[in-house]
Amino acid sequence: MSNTTEHSFSLVITGAPYSSQAPQTALAFAEAVIAAGHRIDRVFLYGDGVHLASALIAPPSDEMNLPKLWSEFLAEHNIPAVACIASALRRGLVNEQEQKRYELSASNLLPAFEIAGLGEWVESTIKSTKTLYFHAGD
Amino acid sequence: METLIVIDQAPYGSFAGREALDMAFSLAAFDQPASLLFTGAGVHWLRKGQAPDSIHQKSVEKNLSAAPIFGIEQLLVDSASCERFGLTVDDLPDGITLIDGNADMIGRYQNVLFAG
Repeated sequence: MSNTTEHSFSLVITGAPYSSQAPQTALAFAEAVIAAGHRIDRVFLYGDGVHLASALIAPPSDEMNLPKLWSEFLAEHNIPAVACIASALRRGLVNEQEQKRYELSASNLLPAFEIAGLGEWVESTIKSTKTLYFHAGD
Repeated sequence: METLIVIDQAPYGSFAGREALDMAFSLAAFDQPASLLFTGAGVHWLRKGQAPDSIHQKSVEKNLSAAPIFGIEQLLVDSASCERFGLTVDDLPDGITLIDGNADMIGRYQNVLFAG
């Protein structure tokens, strides 16, 4: 594919896996971005999208494991991925640090993701040439 | 590089609108210009006298009144949507600008995002 202008993308996913198509559509888009020689600066999970970073999602073995597929993609291309802390805490997605802070019984953040504030998203919108949103669409 | 955040759903039915508002406040906190457009059922955000205490939610009316303090550039509302949902100019809080929220208007912003 000819590519005269290189873009850098930030992807914001607000739809949850299995409840919406958003994480799968975003992954297909992200793969196409890399294949076309562009860059992805960051993936930001917001609202219900934070469920994608859960280590406790266990779909049947003959179905797509979206958290696993996303984790592999992020690791392979060395792309930072952030779940919004306010969205995550409301929906039961925590790392060890937040588990301790809120004295919760477990943590469940996949290693490919980190938890941080909306400032990371603001930085993305400034840094990337394009920021795209993947919503649940209902 | 101004961002337009479009709220097109009524408040309280989901967290999407509130989380979009948090995005707007966050941009403003980092000195990035942001404006809000209320359109479709989103115009219900602007109704006065909301009383969400009975459903144990925080008033979006109160949240929105903080917008100028946070440095939100403009609060815009689509006039056709106001008409459709029976809101007159007198019903709207201070500091709201009535506009024609059409594609041309939205297209003037470099970044546009809808509440999920």
